[in-house]
Amino acid sequence: MLRYIIHRLLLMLPTLFGVAVLVFFLLRLAPGDPLAMMFEGANVSKEVIEGERARLGLDQPMIVQFGKWLVGIMHGDFGVSLWTGRPVLYEIGIRLQLSLQVAIMATILAVLIAVPLGTLSAIFKDSWIDHLVRIISIAGLAVPSFWLGMIIILLLLTYFSWIPPLTFTPFFEDPWKNMSQLIWPALAVGYRYSAVAMRMMRSSVLEVLQEDYVRTARAKGVYERLVVSRHAMRNALLPVVTVVGLEFAFLIGGLVVTEQVFNLNGIGKLFVQAVARGDYTMIQGLVLLVAVFFVMINFAIDMLYALLDPRIRYR
Amino acid sequence: MPTATAPAITYKIPRRRHPVLQFMVQQPLGAAGLAFIVLMAVCALFAPWVAPYDPLDVDYSSMLAAPSADHWLGTDSFGRDVLSRIIFGARTALAVGFLASFTGSTIGAVTGVVSAYFGGKIDLVIQRIMDVLLSFPIIVLAITVVAVLGKNIILGVDVNLVVAIGLPMIPKVARVVRSSALAIRELPYIDAARTAGYSDTRIIFRHMVPNVVAPYLIMITAFVAQAILAEASLSFLGLGVTEPTASWGLMLSGAAADFYQQAPWMIVFPGIAISLAVFAFNLFGDSLRDWLDPKIKL
Repeated sequence: MLRYIIHRLLLMLPTLFGVAVLVFFLLRLAPGDPLAMMFEGANVSKEVIEGERARLGLDQPMIVQFGKWLVGIMHGDFGVSLWTGRPVLYEIGIRLQLSLQVAIMATILAVLIAVPLGTLSAIFKDSWIDHLVRIISIAGLAVPSFWLGMIIILLLLTYFSWIPPLTFTPFFEDPWKNMSQLIWPALAVGYRYSAVAMRMMRSSVLEVLQEDYVRTARAKGVYERLVVSRHAMRNALLPVVTVVGLEFAFLIGGLVVTEQVFNLNGIGKLFVQAVARGDYTMIQGLVLLVAVFFVMINFAIDMLYALLDPRIRYR
Repeated sequence: MPTATAPAITYKIPRRRHPVLQFMVQQPLGAAGLAFIVLMAVCALFAPWVAPYDPLDVDYSSMLAAPSADHWLGTDSFGRDVLSRIIFGARTALAVGFLASFTGSTIGAVTGVVSAYFGGKIDLVIQRIMDVLLSFPIIVLAITVVAVLGKNIILGVDVNLVVAIGLPMIPKVARVVRSSALAIRELPYIDAARTAGYSDTRIIFRHMVPNVVAPYLIMITAFVAQAILAEASLSFLGLGVTEPTASWGLMLSGAAADFYQQAPWMIVFPGIAISLAVFAFNLFGDSLRDWLDPKIKL
């Protein structure tokens, strides 16, 4: 098991190196000069621009820049944002709490909605409950999360005169205010998420209900409620865990867009701003961090598998 | 003596329905999805004749007009007809959706087959590259590619936008197709082809690719839906289609958010258009999978 874990962790390195190479060189091969963008419209001489370029180290050969960047990362230094001049990690750090909180709230919401509804849908297969749940989940796959966010704002605005606050209240300052602010974006991105999990839960429970041990449990006279909760649901959760983990990627994607709608200054907004401003170091840092996050999640899912299902053993 | 007449024997030849008809009978929901897609495609193709107004027609005398007999779905902050913009937006959505999904899936399918056919080192290298591409969420990769490539409009379609949306699909298709192709590689007719001295290219394109068409078709339809969502998201962020071109995502961005209360129709209708389009493709894609190959997992 330990050998497997180490092997998996080592395999991540070439993948992440590939991500670093890809994003670094693609950005630099692209047309467009970030310095020209920075000084756009400003009346500055060529010398000033070239001086700034030298100060940011963008005048050196690409391979040297790449080497310096990599060495910096080894030391936990992702460089300085070309736009704000502050360290990339600092800019990300101050926004991470917000985005992470929305992501976690969305996940909890999604699971809370998906597991009971998916199970109900499977138990009452082909009844009106099943049809209703399936309609809810099919709609969830089709509705873009940012538009759902706009509709939520529209409804809140019309019925409660609520507007997204301009500033973010951290959780530990005022939990209630914080939750009432973030529950809506979490709902907007969580709906799609729960739709996927709901479908998986339904088909998974249906499959498990055919198993021999369910028949055995019924035959020995276990209450149907217990059959479902103890025998069926627990075993049906495994594929759902995978889907919840894999869809976390979609969640990040959904957040990028939804943060704009709710005026949240999180990672997603930072990313879109960095792209609009041609802020190379910021884009590189963010993309690499997202990739690290993503690879770790996939790893965590595999580990969770072994925990949930004793039959699975990694070598 | 009258001869007994032999009883007339009628052979019942099993009637084979046309596959399209068969699909419609077996998968009514999928057929409904297909019907909606066709309707959308017709509207998009004949948009200038279907749409009541020119989508670019600015009319300051009727800005933010509520839905009425003149403007069924109201007008936006420039007095442009929302219905007409939605109809023309279908052009953008379908063009980008189909092109991105088609190129992404095709390159992915060929990559998957090549990877499976050669195996060994080539397979390993290709799979590592696919791992790199898979370690981004779709929209993040698409935004990065848009940032890198900028705009490049050919025949009214932003080619770079198509690339940005199609690229993240390649590794996903490659994975599914590779696993089907791995099984095909072991079949006797591939051995036979190799013994007959056919070239690798010929075996790949003539013997293997035609046999992975089912997963390929299923993935194309499934990804059109995702591509439409991606296009809407990118345009909403101001990184995709730009004004004055009509696009559903673009209609939701910018001014629309400033008029939440005065003009909710600016927000409600384009979103419904996106949802319906994605819904139709999902419905059709799901049924197509059930019909062609229920075992495939996307």
